[in-house]
Amino acid sequence: MIVSRLIARLQRYEGWFGVAAGLLIMVGLYMGLVTSSPDYYQGEVVRIMYIHVPAAQSAMFAYTVLFGGSVWYLWKRDPIVDNMSHAAAGIGVFFTLVALITGSIWAKPTWNTWWTWDPRLISFAIMLLILVGYLMLRTFLEDKEKEATYAAIIAIIGFVDLPIIHFSVEWWRTLHQPLSISTRGVSIARDMLIPLLLMSVGFYLLFAYMLMVRTQMLYLQHLLEAKRGRMLSKVHL
Amino acid sequence: MIQWIAWKDLLSELRSRENISSMFFFALIVILIFSFSFSMDAKSSRELMPGIIWIAFGFTGIIGLGKSFLAEVHNDCMEYFQMLPVPKGAIYLGKFAGNALFMLIVEIILFPMFILFFNLDVLEKTPMILLISLAATIGLSALGTLFSALTVQIRAREVMFPILLLPLAVPIFIGAVEATRGVFNGDPLPLYLDWIKLLIVFDLIFVTISFWVFEFILDY
Repeated sequence: MIVSRLIARLQRYEGWFGVAAGLLIMVGLYMGLVTSSPDYYQGEVVRIMYIHVPAAQSAMFAYTVLFGGSVWYLWKRDPIVDNMSHAAAGIGVFFTLVALITGSIWAKPTWNTWWTWDPRLISFAIMLLILVGYLMLRTFLEDKEKEATYAAIIAIIGFVDLPIIHFSVEWWRTLHQPLSISTRGVSIARDMLIPLLLMSVGFYLLFAYMLMVRTQMLYLQHLLEAKRGRMLSKVHL
Repeated sequence: MIQWIAWKDLLSELRSRENISSMFFFALIVILIFSFSFSMDAKSSRELMPGIIWIAFGFTGIIGLGKSFLAEVHNDCMEYFQMLPVPKGAIYLGKFAGNALFMLIVEIILFPMFILFFNLDVLEKTPMILLISLAATIGLSALGTLFSALTVQIRAREVMFPILLLPLAVPIFIGAVEATRGVFNGDPLPLYLDWIKLLIVFDLIFVTISFWVFEFILDY
């Protein structure tokens, strides 16, 4: 119940999350797309980074929230936490798709291919599959409590599996051919770092805002189903 | 209790012969389709065979694993599982052991067919292949048993089972294929030992987690 109270408290400031996310993303986009300098090697192409990197970060954050929520649900059986996990999975699909699509667009001019079997790419693609499987499973279950429990189990196993997938793919690639894509240096110019940071924080806030709105929607939806009186005893609220 | 559940499963599978024959014919069809699809000379068969073998074993396993809890549901035994005076995880371990043994039996029956149809020259490497099969089968049945219990009571069970299982089983397939390739190429053990280690780590992690979460599946 601590979580429900925390969510209730946060929801009072929900609108501000949305406003702050919008402001940060607008300023970040302006700085990233207009005022920041093009990359020395990649030229103007690099500007897609300002959307790609924050989206990928938010996707991973969504999955972490989903995992945390699922463990918490199995432990405490707090229904609102289940609604939150459900919401996080849906939003996670959105951010994962944005990251994959922008990454693909970025990869074409820089690596000269839309897709490569890089560990990070494969883990992300599989994360998308797990999230979609998670959401599909939820639609097939009638019993709300069973749905929440089963979904939580899938989320936990998927979260534990992702690092294994990452490392197995890394080995799989590196044992057979030299790494074709090395991580670029961490040194990043100040006029690129600031918009990137703004966008990152903006995307996290956007995620938080979406999460809160979606959690409430799911909660109200369940409430409505219960109030309709159908299977009143079976609905898990 | 673990060994009794495993024994019961194995016995009923072998007696009814329903699963084992459908798995056998399915694998036969997979082998035939692959042999039509690729023209196999000695070199390309060494390259492709590990993948083909594990696709065949994996898909065949899905047929068997997906039905693992079906008999219990049809005979209303799921409720009785809850009444057993043992930890719920023990039921999981029993089902898992039964599934793993059954899958292994099917693989041992199938493997000579690969040797036959694709002219593989691996007879002396059989113990190593068996070890890899054991490690991979444990991982696949650990996940498969859990997801079978999860999906058995929902609509669209046949669709949901592979959708949930296959993405999570990616490391098993990579590990098994790469280790098998190492054996087929006649590489020294250290070159592919890491893959076997990966399979074992995966087995340990998933048996442990499944053991823990199985309680929540039965306990609704």
